Amino acid sequence: MFIARSEYDRGINTFSPEGRLFQVEYSLEAIKLGSTAIGVATGEGVVLGVEKRVTSTLLETSSVEKIVEIDRHIGCAMSGLQADARSMVEHARVESQNHAFHYNEKLRVESCTQAICDLALRFGEGAQGEDSIMSRPFGVALLIAGYDEDGPSLYHAEPSGTFYRYDAKAIGSGSEGAQAELQNEFHKSLTLPEAEVLVLKTLKQVMEEKLDSKNVQLASVTKEKGFRIYTDAEMEEVVGRLPTN
Amino acid sequence: MASVFSGAPPQSGPGYSFKQTPTEAPSGTRQHGFYPYTDNGGSTLGISGADFTILAGDTRHTSGYNINTRYAPKLFKIGGEGPDNKGASIVLSVVGFAADGEALKERLDTIVKMYKYQHGKPMSVAACAQRLSHILYGKRFFPYYVHAILGGLDEEGRGALYSYDPVGSYEREQCRAAGAAASLIMPFLDNQVNFKNQYVPDSGSGHELQEKPRTPLDQNHVLELVRDAFTSAVERHIEVGDGLQVMIIKKEGIMEAFHPLKQD
Repeated sequence: MFIARSEYDRGINTFSPEGRLFQVEYSLEAIKLGSTAIGVATGEGVVLGVEKRVTSTLLETSSVEKIVEIDRHIGCAMSGLQADARSMVEHARVESQNHAFHYNEKLRVESCTQAICDLALRFGEGAQGEDSIMSRPFGVALLIAGYDEDGPSLYHAEPSGTFYRYDAKAIGSGSEGAQAELQNEFHKSLTLPEAEVLVLKTLKQVMEEKLDSKNVQLASVTKEKGFRIYTDAEMEEVVGRLPTN
Repeated sequence: MASVFSGAPPQSGPGYSFKQTPTEAPSGTRQHGFYPYTDNGGSTLGISGADFTILAGDTRHTSGYNINTRYAPKLFKIGGEGPDNKGASIVLSVVGFAADGEALKERLDTIVKMYKYQHGKPMSVAACAQRLSHILYGKRFFPYYVHAILGGLDEEGRGALYSYDPVGSYEREQCRAAGAAASLIMPFLDNQVNFKNQYVPDSGSGHELQEKPRTPLDQNHVLELVRDAFTSAVERHIEVGDGLQVMIIKKEGIMEAFHPLKQD
């Protein structure tokens, strides 16, 4: 399968004759190996949910960090190579703080996403005068949730540097099934508690393990409370609200 | 021969363009100096109202006793579109060293225009005010030799006015005069805009004395205060005169007007 491509998938900034960048395409494959992450935007705020793969009973589940804060009003969920996400999140945090420092206002969610995507294509040899920091494309996709002057919004950023805004989006290994479910279930008048249930219900369908309050994580971004990761007690409460079947 | 390379020719009297002009041919050991700044005189002032901000500045540009030009604007529209700043809603006024003022305006204008491309919305005055502060402080050890005043409308549509020192310390105020005649105009503004030293008649004496309550000023009234302030300043300060440039920032846009001042 890969024999025909072998000429072009080494040079990471080299187009194939068909006009493709194989390494970038492969990086999108890396995300499909990652655990599922889901984001749902409502009028009240955005809910993020991730599946934590508990590979061992000896694993301390609280050390699996797949939802992180970027600023008080922006958070993100990740799927793919988590180490790559750390440098993207670090960049976004710096960008957000810089904006607050220079302009005395919050960074917009779209601008934050753009800042992250600017980083995504800085791999390879680097242009004149510009240092390249990565030798390969990132192997991670992010769901960026935030609340700014235009209200709540959810963005999906890919290693290719493209980003789109979504009402609801799933990434990772179970994304195809989950996206289909979101397509059916999402409507504009969802409340935040309804979105929490929708996220967990969708995750439940695509997870291999049985969903409980330990192997999933939720976070929300609202106007009042900003970005917040749910506590263990809150997780149990939401899991308790799931319809049993 | 040495005098050929000394920069300025020896003169019999002091040179008025630059205080540093040598008055005699140098001999023996010479000390060289670096004088990158000039004071180009002039004055600016800004007053903010309930739904407007007025900025004004004279257009005289001086060096010592010389008038370089009678028309050098000190007020600049910031942001908007194209070289004419169409649709701008922020005005920067600068007084002090005109070349630094011009450079500062160019930098801020570029940043504000780039901001709109990057963030998809026009920059607010509050954000612009903070940014200007950082631009000035960024040159803390080789400052822009200017007193800047920034005017616009805040998020609620009220008049917003910010004044700066040359290294970026800033404050939002009701009114501010800057430049050569600042010390002449500012006390007048304190009295007429903030009603300082004005009391309610017959309200008593000592601690009983009641200050005249502050009321939002009418736009035409403010405009008259501005014009009076400058006609008075022209009488008492030689570096102020020739023309008065006025900009009124309202939600409909920026209105610009010119009024003649005495040319003596």
